[in-house]
Amino acid sequence: MTASDQLGLTKTWELSLYELHRTPQDPVTDHTEIAVSPRSLHNELMCPICLDMLRKTMTTKECLHRFCSDCIVTALRSGNKECPTCRKKLVSKRSLRPDPNFDLLISKIYPSRDEYEAHQERVLAKLNKSHSREALMNSIKEGIKVQSQSRPNRGRKVNDASVAVETEDVGGGVGGVGGGGGGGGENLAPSSNASVQPATINNNGNNSLSQQQQSQVASGATLSPSASGRSTPSQPPSPVSSSVSSISKSMGKRPKSVLTSERSEESENSSERTEQTDTEGEGPSEPLTLNEIELVFKPHPTEMSGENPLVKALKENSIRYIKTTGNATVDHLHKYLAMRLTLDLDSQLSTTHNLLNFCIYISPNSGQYVQLNGNQTLGQVNDKYWKVNKPLEMFYSWKKT
Amino acid sequence: MAQNVNPFLELQTDAAKQSNDSKKGSNDNHAVTKRLHNELMTLMMNQDKGISAFPEGENFFKWIGTIIGPKDSAYESLKFKLSLDFPHSYPYTAPQVKFITPCFHPNVDNGGNICLDILKDKWSALYDVRTILLSIQILLGEPNIDSPLNALAASKWQKQEEYKKYVIDAYKEA
Repeated sequence: MTASDQLGLTKTWELSLYELHRTPQDPVTDHTEIAVSPRSLHNELMCPICLDMLRKTMTTKECLHRFCSDCIVTALRSGNKECPTCRKKLVSKRSLRPDPNFDLLISKIYPSRDEYEAHQERVLAKLNKSHSREALMNSIKEGIKVQSQSRPNRGRKVNDASVAVETEDVGGGVGGVGGGGGGGGENLAPSSNASVQPATINNNGNNSLSQQQQSQVASGATLSPSASGRSTPSQPPSPVSSSVSSISKSMGKRPKSVLTSERSEESENSSERTEQTDTEGEGPSEPLTLNEIELVFKPHPTEMSGENPLVKALKENSIRYIKTTGNATVDHLHKYLAMRLTLDLDSQLSTTHNLLNFCIYISPNSGQYVQLNGNQTLGQVNDKYWKVNKPLEMFYSWKKT
Repeated sequence: MAQNVNPFLELQTDAAKQSNDSKKGSNDNHAVTKRLHNELMTLMMNQDKGISAFPEGENFFKWIGTIIGPKDSAYESLKFKLSLDFPHSYPYTAPQVKFITPCFHPNVDNGGNICLDILKDKWSALYDVRTILLSIQILLGEPNIDSPLNALAASKWQKQEEYKKYVIDAYKEA
């Protein structure tokens, strides 16, 4: 880009993002990992015929263009015997060779691809069923809106080489787009296995593949709770970073008012979202009803005052903003807290503190704190104590064992 | 999951196996729809100048496209509607593209049929709605006089002022 500016060329060549931004790289000799955004890889990994990610890659022997095996075989059978990309003569299938290394590369970058595709199938099937022009239009508009919100950070250079956590699963990529619009709150899935996933997650709101955008658009919902790229600080290397940890780094600092206002627009889509989240664990997915609860989680004002070493160590991270389904129970919050706060604490502190004994309270009237027992769902708590139409406020305190 | 299968679903898959052929057909359609979805997305995202397209009604295999006549041509700022019919073998075979808006042009006949090599023997699976519409837009300003469908238009091309009158006369905004 700069080169063409210098030459005074106004013509914009059809270069991919990768080509536009590529700069000579020094060979990596130590264990540094370099982050590449999936978006910049998209064109490289895509089959130009089906516009999907390459499956059983075949490479043309002479011109080295890549296609899915099925796509290129069908193309050669039904069309001219030439490379669809450059029209180089392709006599037969023997002008192609399989490229298993490339398949391996893709499966490394997108380990949960099958899951993602299964999801996409479902979305598409649903869309085809109820596929009125209006619905389509709306979903596309939604997608474009979300896309444009995340666009400002596209030009930004990828964080410095120390960032190691960029390989997001494909499903997460759906959220990559949504991250721009949907940034806000942590999503805490009700099933305990999902509340802290050991998956690395992308902290840039801007990278995703356009086919994922399509799915994003089609469903109008985001799957991953990834944070907005706008406020995301560059992330320190954290090989065991959990999805929760990477997002909350930025969430904790977010002012509450911004949070709630952003989320209101997001909640329009939340019925879809719950369904998506649900598909992971329990097999046959039955769509959940729109039943999300926003939650502000604060340290107990008297038992966990500013003097408390835990609160001191957590600083602003001691207040947590959570969005989850009403089916989650107080016990889930317990587990979440134990996990979450341990991650936030200095590793030193967390070994000396065994963060298990939390009590969770709600304050129906000022100054009054009712301790909640574990098997109540948040929906029940909300109905019983809260009733007001604003994020549920809860308090926690921690007892030394 | 393997054990916990709804028996009703199993029955269904058996039935599906029996009618394997029809199933394959629907799978193919599915791939075509998927690709068309993808194309629609990119079209909406990119907002190319002077072209647009959208599925017509409920049928995803029938689109309506619009082209604005290229600048500095007899077609400048005229808006043309086209129909795009996608075969189930798309993108391995070209869609059928026709002008809906009457268009006076050497390579367009009275029925709106377009003579353009990439829609015929030069088709490649890499072409899509966007590239088709852009190609037709360019064709408007740069006709192929040597193999005309509309001989009158080809003969008038050299006299642009007269030519433009014909274009305007034929043009009826849809």
